[in-house]
Parts: sequence; C-alpha cells; structure tokens
Amino acid sequence: MGLFDAIDVAGSGLTAERLRMDVTAENLANAQTTRAAGGGAYHRKQVVLQQAGGPAFSNVLSGALGGVRAVDAARGVEVGAIVEDASATRRVYDPGHPDADPQGYVEMPNVNPVTEMVDLIGASRSYEANVTAMQSAKQMFTKTLELLR
Amino acid sequence: MSLFDSTQLALESALRGASMRQELLTNNLANANTPGYQRQDLDFHSALRAAQASGQDPTTIAFQATADPARTVRADGSGLDPDQEAATLAKNTLEYQALVQVMGARTTIMQIAMGVR
Repeated sequence: MGLFDAIDVAGSGLTAERLRMDVTAENLANAQTTRAAGGGAYHRKQVVLQQAGGPAFSNVLSGALGGVRAVDAARGVEVGAIVEDASATRRVYDPGHPDADPQGYVEMPNVNPVTEMVDLIGASRSYEANVTAMQSAKQMFTKTLELLR
Repeated sequence: MSLFDSTQLALESALRGASMRQELLTNNLANANTPGYQRQDLDFHSALRAAQASGQDPTTIAFQATADPARTVRADGSGLDPDQEAATLAKNTLEYQALVQVMGARTTIMQIAMGVR
C-alpha cells in the first residue's frame, strides 16, 4: 500500500470510463446500422464494470475459519464484460430500404440516442472524478517530497 | 527521552492512516459505476485515539478498512454517492497535507536545535 497505489486505482477508473465512453460512442455511431457483424440489425452494447482483483486468500481463510473477514485491498475497477442489450429491436416501415422485409418493415437497432447521451455524460463525469482523485494523490505525494527539501 | 517523541510517532501513524484512506476513497470513486459495490472506508482517527488511550505504540497500529454494507442508495445495489465521495477525498487530501506541514515544521525545529540550519 502506498500513494502510488492510489494513482494506479484512479488510473484503472480512467481506463474503465474511457472504454465505457468508447462503447457508448459505438452505439451512437451504429444507431441506424441494419447490417451488424453477426447479421441483422445492430444491438446496443453495454459495459459491465466490476471490482478489480479477486478476494485475497488470507482474508477468505480467516473468514472460513470463523474469524473476522477483513476487507480486501483496493485494486480499482475493471471491465468485466461487454454485453449486448437483448431488448427488442425497432421495426420501422420503410419499403424503399434495401433491407426491408416483404411487408416493407426494416429492423432497426435498439439504440436510443437519449439513453446513449446520458451514458456518455455519466462516463465523462466519472472520468473527471477519477482525474480529480489522481490529482489529489499527486498533490499529497508532492507535499511529502517537500519534506525532504 | 528519545529523539522522536510520542507526537512525532502519532503523526507518522496518522500519515500512514491518511494515505491508506486516500487509496480506499480513490477506489470507491473508481467503482462509482460498479453495480452492487459497497464503499470502503478507514476510521484512522478512532484507531489512533484508542491506541493513545491504551498507551499502545502508535506505529504498531494495524489499520483495518471497513466496508459499509448497510447503506444502499441506488437501484443497482451500490451504496455509493460520488459527490459525497469526492468531498471526503478532498477533505482527506487537505488533512494529509496539514499533517505533512506539521511534520515539516517539527523537523525544522529539530534541525535548528541541532544547528543544521
């Protein structure tokens, strides 16, 4: 444990939030895509975040032996998975579209631009929060170094 | 009397506690969007106070982080309020800097006494 760890933890937050922003941007860019890589309309993607690093062995052992289960060391956040949103795609009547079915309906992605914009702002704010945390840790370390002067 | 009195040792211990707390608070903020995450915190003030009351050497305190499972404020099961977390983080940073400042002042006094300055 040390101050540099705090910087690493904030860094993991930056990485995770940046990826979240990338995925949201991909969703927005593909809001009208009717031909996804797997065929059919594009399905919006979601990032699942999880706490980084598994529980420490010593903590699990002391918990299993009936002792006090200590809190695991802070290791930041990581992206657990990128999952597809399984909700139904939209059906839009557009007979002139090349991907329209015989009835004239086109299967459009289940991307709602408003939801994506809100996610984008959320990721951006979280990114800023992590930058602030990193700056605080840096300030603390600088102050400590000044002791040596 | 040793060169480093109990105040100096307590200061060192408080610095250690504050830097550990900083890491935990940073971790909380990094996990602001993790579903089901429970915030962690470290009450190093109480640990220090208890050690001083019982006459324990403050440098031997083993600080323990505690999870805060009772609080659930969000629909995704996370008990984290990012604003509150950022405020606590800022407070802890200032506290750490204050501790460093006091430590620096004490070092300067000692240096003057030794005729180094």
